[in-house]
Amino acid sequence: MTTAFLFPGQGSQHPYMLRDLPAHPVITRTLAEASEELNESVAFWDAESELESTVAVQVCLLVSGVASARLLKEEKAFPDFVAGHSVGAFGAAVVAGALDFKDAVRLVRMRGEWMEKAFPKGYGMGVVLGLSEVQLKRLIDVHVTKANPVYLANINCPRQMTIAGAIPDLRRFMELALANGAQRTELLDVSVPSHCPLLHEVSLYLETELQRISFRDPDIPYASNRTARVLKTGEAIKKDLAWNVSHSVRWHEAICLLYELGTRLFVEMLPGNVLMGLVKNAFPTARALSISDNGMKTAAILVHRTRNN
Amino acid sequence: MGMTDITQTDQTNRSWTTRRDAKNRRMNRVMNITGGRVIPTDRIIEVLEEVLVPGDRVVLEGNNQKQASFLSSALAQVNSAKVHDLHMILSSISRPEHLDIFEAGIAEKVDFAYAGPQSLRMAQMIEDKELTMGEIHTYIELYGRLFIDLIPSVALVAADKADRKGNLFTGANTEETPTLVEAAAFRDGIVIAQVNEITDDLPRVDIPGSWIDLVVEADVPYQLEPLFTRDPRHITDIHILLAMMTIRGIYEKHQVQSLNHGIGYNTAAIELLLPTYGESLGLKGKICKHWALNPHPTMIPAIESGWVESIHCFGGEVGMEDYISKRPDVFFTGQDGSLRSNRTLSQLAGQYAVDLFVGSSLQIDSYGNSSTVTKGRLAGFGGAPNMGHDPGGRRHSTPAWLNMINSDEPLVRGKKLVVQVVETHLTGNTPVFVESLDAIDVKKDADLAIAPVMIYGDDVTHIVTEEGIAYLYKAKSLEERREAIAAVAGVTPVGIKHSPRNIDRLRQEGIVAWPEDLGIRRTEANRSLLAAKNVEELVEWSGRLYQPPEKFRSW
Repeated sequence: MTTAFLFPGQGSQHPYMLRDLPAHPVITRTLAEASEELNESVAFWDAESELESTVAVQVCLLVSGVASARLLKEEKAFPDFVAGHSVGAFGAAVVAGALDFKDAVRLVRMRGEWMEKAFPKGYGMGVVLGLSEVQLKRLIDVHVTKANPVYLANINCPRQMTIAGAIPDLRRFMELALANGAQRTELLDVSVPSHCPLLHEVSLYLETELQRISFRDPDIPYASNRTARVLKTGEAIKKDLAWNVSHSVRWHEAICLLYELGTRLFVEMLPGNVLMGLVKNAFPTARALSISDNGMKTAAILVHRTRNN
Repeated sequence: MGMTDITQTDQTNRSWTTRRDAKNRRMNRVMNITGGRVIPTDRIIEVLEEVLVPGDRVVLEGNNQKQASFLSSALAQVNSAKVHDLHMILSSISRPEHLDIFEAGIAEKVDFAYAGPQSLRMAQMIEDKELTMGEIHTYIELYGRLFIDLIPSVALVAADKADRKGNLFTGANTEETPTLVEAAAFRDGIVIAQVNEITDDLPRVDIPGSWIDLVVEADVPYQLEPLFTRDPRHITDIHILLAMMTIRGIYEKHQVQSLNHGIGYNTAAIELLLPTYGESLGLKGKICKHWALNPHPTMIPAIESGWVESIHCFGGEVGMEDYISKRPDVFFTGQDGSLRSNRTLSQLAGQYAVDLFVGSSLQIDSYGNSSTVTKGRLAGFGGAPNMGHDPGGRRHSTPAWLNMINSDEPLVRGKKLVVQVVETHLTGNTPVFVESLDAIDVKKDADLAIAPVMIYGDDVTHIVTEEGIAYLYKAKSLEERREAIAAVAGVTPVGIKHSPRNIDRLRQEGIVAWPEDLGIRRTEANRSLLAAKNVEELVEWSGRLYQPPEKFRSW
């Protein structure tokens, strides 16, 4: 049996998420590394007011995810696979050994800035519960026009999808979804229409920037967002990191793949527990836990136990 | 010179022992490692590298229960420069390494029957062209082809015990081992068996040593899944309603005496209702006497109450060993007392020799075609299509079979009862009855020759839902068949779109029956009818002979 470490994306952040990290030299070092790259102390980026910017949110999530994995490493708890949701993929790539942490900090900051610039306001994302991917795609095909596009963004679990587009279009579509069998819809507190072709340019910028950075083949296989495949080369991971922002995150499929590959323990890095919930929902026979709910110690013990089984 | 001379010359020049010679060459290469028939555990990879030749057709034992897990792990570690392009034959693609060998280039093509536990990866690897698809078979077709045009060069199988002469004890989990071995052994293939233990003292011989070339003691026992254990705790009132309707409206009505049950809570509920509800209807000794069935723990109360005369099993079930050995009047057992299962023979029996098959499905279309595939997955069939169809060649008559006759034409014959028991919706409010099966998309996506339909509509005689029973064998036209299905399809696309106006006529003619038509009050359907409500009660029914695996113990 194997273990996967999961790295959360936007939505999992909370104020003081970095200052809440356990007191440990490894955490201090990780924060210092990030601060050095940013030329300012990252420790203050997690204030409530700072987290209104997607730039701060994304950088804090990266720092928190990598810090968690490093702390588990101190406890000799290693993953067999890594996967990150959206921006979480950068943390996964760092822990996989494909990308240096400092390079990741710089890239994620730029990613956030480009995303913010691309869509100053009026755009966002929504969540639709209770429809399958096929049903949702059919609704989009039949009802959505080129002039007012709504895109299927993230497939988080079989009946939980997010959509992206301009706010009025999202609202209209969510009403349509409710009239066609959706159980619940909700506008998300996100200002950027991520994971759809509207962010194509951001991907192009990222790709150019990524070309300057040397990637290594990962020590730990990395489950991708865009293709839901396990990637084993640095080049493939580079491509995933550039293009995931303008493509659907096939999260559920990626988790299914890890399950089929023998993963029975999924550990969600700090902060949050959203990804743990998705695993529990889809795989009652797997064990899913989050460091935020279950603590570092429990996680480490279960990782050891899984390895020895 | 005449034709005869040419033929004679050809005959003199041609060797008729190429297969045997090839086998001898391969076996000679490993003689220095094995000495006799026993491969040292730590040298299995070396032996596989010597014995296997690129392009070989290799049958690797693995089904939904027993897995030759030591051999599959070893195969995944061979050097792909030496061993590559294997054509794998797998009953079930279950373990990660079953597909790792394709990623590593060790294997190239696959024929299989079931891939549920690796169904996403299968679909991805086909899309990525990382493996070549042979066919998706049913169990019986796959076993049959092992003797026709998929004859294995090497068979890798699992047994409980072996002696140094290669005699195998496969015991309760004999399953398909004899079939796989026979196909290789008698056509100069090489048979390697992993065993949990090498001993001079075998409880009995299930497969003789002269069929086996090499044995190896595995470092850990072969993987064995308790797949047929259903905890009664999860049986709902709706399962019980469905079970009551099936017993009353099908088993009793058609006098079903021999049958197969699929794996699932619907059928577990039927099994646990026989000693209670079935008894109250006075049906003991009249129905459900002979079974082609795995040793489901939920059968224990029916067995203990004297309902069951015989059960032939496809495989064993973890924890049922002691119970079975104390009930030889019911189960097939060896002189040592333990169960003898045989998947091939039990599948054949379930196909030809029983009155009825009950299964379930994820999707049923408006004509009764059903499928368990969903988009983006390639899962295959296993054995359900074997048992879930009307074998046209059947000759022997039974009351239930004859009861399906619906005309007075001179050559009319009976029909196997093929029953689908489903709730109209799955969890998450997904409708089961759909306009179009996902299987049609899967055919396109995976470039299959035919859509992967599990059970064809024209084989289905009955559909049972919480709404009622559709007696499809009685429908006089395709349109009437569709009306009958729509009548029990509830609030699903099929139920809404084709809602028949004349349900009363369908009920009067007995093409559709509601629970009340069968004398069943919906309010009666509750868990108090279960002969056992949890695993502990099954243990008690068994006289504490049943020893459930850890994960089913809550006490």
